[in-house]
Amino acid sequence: MTLTIDVQNLTKTYRVHQKKEGLKAALIGLGKRTYHEVPAVQGIDLQVHQGEFVAFLGPNGAGKTTTLKLLSGVINPTAGHATVLGHIPWKRENAYRRRFALVMGQKNQLWWDLPAQESFRLHQKIYRIETEQFDRSLNELIDVLDVSKLLKQPVRELSLGERMKMELIAALLHSPDILFLDEPTIGLDVVAQHNIQQFLRHYQQTRKITVLLTSHYMKDITALCKRVVIIAKGRIHYDGSLKGITDQFGGYKILTVQFADDIESPPDLSKYGTVQSIQPPQVTIQVPRAEVASVLSHVLNQHDIADVSVEDPPLENMIAEVFSLAAEEENAS
Amino acid sequence: MRTSSHPPYLDVLLTFARNNLVREMTFRMNFIAHGVAVTFWMGLQLFFYNLIYQHRDEIGPGSGWTRERYFVFLATVMMVNSLMQTFFVPNMKLFSELIRKGNLDFALLKPIDTQFLITFARMDWSALGNFFFGIGVLIYALIKMDYVPSVLQCVLYAIYILLGVAIFYSVVLAMATSSIWMGRNQSLDQFWFYITTFARYPLEIYTGSLGTPIRYVFTFIIPVLVVVNVPARIMAMGLREDHWPLACYTVCISLISLFLSRKLFNFALRQYRSASS
Repeated sequence: MTLTIDVQNLTKTYRVHQKKEGLKAALIGLGKRTYHEVPAVQGIDLQVHQGEFVAFLGPNGAGKTTTLKLLSGVINPTAGHATVLGHIPWKRENAYRRRFALVMGQKNQLWWDLPAQESFRLHQKIYRIETEQFDRSLNELIDVLDVSKLLKQPVRELSLGERMKMELIAALLHSPDILFLDEPTIGLDVVAQHNIQQFLRHYQQTRKITVLLTSHYMKDITALCKRVVIIAKGRIHYDGSLKGITDQFGGYKILTVQFADDIESPPDLSKYGTVQSIQPPQVTIQVPRAEVASVLSHVLNQHDIADVSVEDPPLENMIAEVFSLAAEEENAS
Repeated sequence: MRTSSHPPYLDVLLTFARNNLVREMTFRMNFIAHGVAVTFWMGLQLFFYNLIYQHRDEIGPGSGWTRERYFVFLATVMMVNSLMQTFFVPNMKLFSELIRKGNLDFALLKPIDTQFLITFARMDWSALGNFFFGIGVLIYALIKMDYVPSVLQCVLYAIYILLGVAIFYSVVLAMATSSIWMGRNQSLDQFWFYITTFARYPLEIYTGSLGTPIRYVFTFIIPVLVVVNVPARIMAMGLREDHWPLACYTVCISLISLFLSRKLFNFALRQYRSASS
């Protein structure tokens, strides 16, 4: 597999003006300013191969977007190296800029007052796409995303979901080899989210392009990515498969027991693990992974059980755990 | 598939022109109202100077700026301003805004010169009416003077208008670029108005203890005084030998301005930090 993205020790520090509260402080701030350094990305190493679909996970302000902006050459790094498709992104060479696209759920690049079609035409000119190829790509994208009726409507009259579809079309017209997606489903309803996910999966699988995605929606990530990179406080805390998170951080399982009798107060199970909820006749406890088998046999032996289930904890919980671990590490150092 | 690595600037420019026209047409009333307002403002100026020339035969004794000649000057102001308001001022306002909101990101991603992109993305066609209004005033003044300019005069006049626009553009680009450090530049409009105010009058009025410093500052440091004066002199007073030094200087300073403002622009882009999403 070809190495598409190679990042070494990438660092970005912002210098931020410290604003203090109140008018008096603001007046002083006019003259003398205090700055402090905000490390947005702190020495990231990352290798991505062609055709990978990688998710960036992290709390707000973790450095996900900054990383995408560095890789797309929008901002310059403070230190470190990166090559994408053999180019240094922040040199902003046209040869590189022709080969990737960035889609941001929070920003739009289409002309607000014009039908999306006009923005597409402009992209055709800027990227110098042959008319034949342009028509083919556009028709295909319109078809898959089902937006043929919306092409002639001014963008400002489209719904958020429809607009995001148009943004995706604009980004994909020049058939990029790499796609950076920064929270592409933010603010969308469940159906629209699902549509975008389906489209992205289909597109990535047929074209074998490389995709880097940031999102706060676990559904996006489970639906799309095999590889997950967890970033917190500008550092990478996990880089591996989605399942690996469960193995590494999911130290327990969720055991749900349903008692046979329709009893008001089910027996106390707290000796086996942390009780999470009691909803008679059902009790849910959190059991260390290594003890699941023994706990299960104990419970089954000693009580009259109608149903039982053992599950991994929700991914969200584990990720939240990784985040808080990362925050603790950061505070300790 | 991709025929050339060279971005098709003319194609993009024409698409910008077309898209902007379509956009303005969707807001028909705004288009008309804006055109009327701009023309009205210029008409008011004409009226105002007419008023002054009812009291004076010439502005600045011996300067040669009689009423008709001054109308040539005013026509030049109109044309230069109209070109600026149609093409560059709206773009620079937008540029400043893009920086503040972090939307410059998309411009930086495109495989085309970023300065070109942010310079021509918007065109305010309704402001172009004044250009033709200016031509009208010019023709009127020339008829009144009973003066027929030579072909060379006309060609030089057009060239110097373009050079003047280049200087204005460089100044406004530099001002807008400063938004990268200032975070925002709300005073762009006001600054633009103040600076161009100086350019709206003949050089000859900037004499004496008040005028001379202003003349030097706005000729050599922020060279906006040559923008209108040089072409207006060519058209109104013919090709006079004593006007040549300033004319030569204008060619040099316009090229230097373009060069320096581009340098500043490229330097600023490296400092761009992109607002958070």
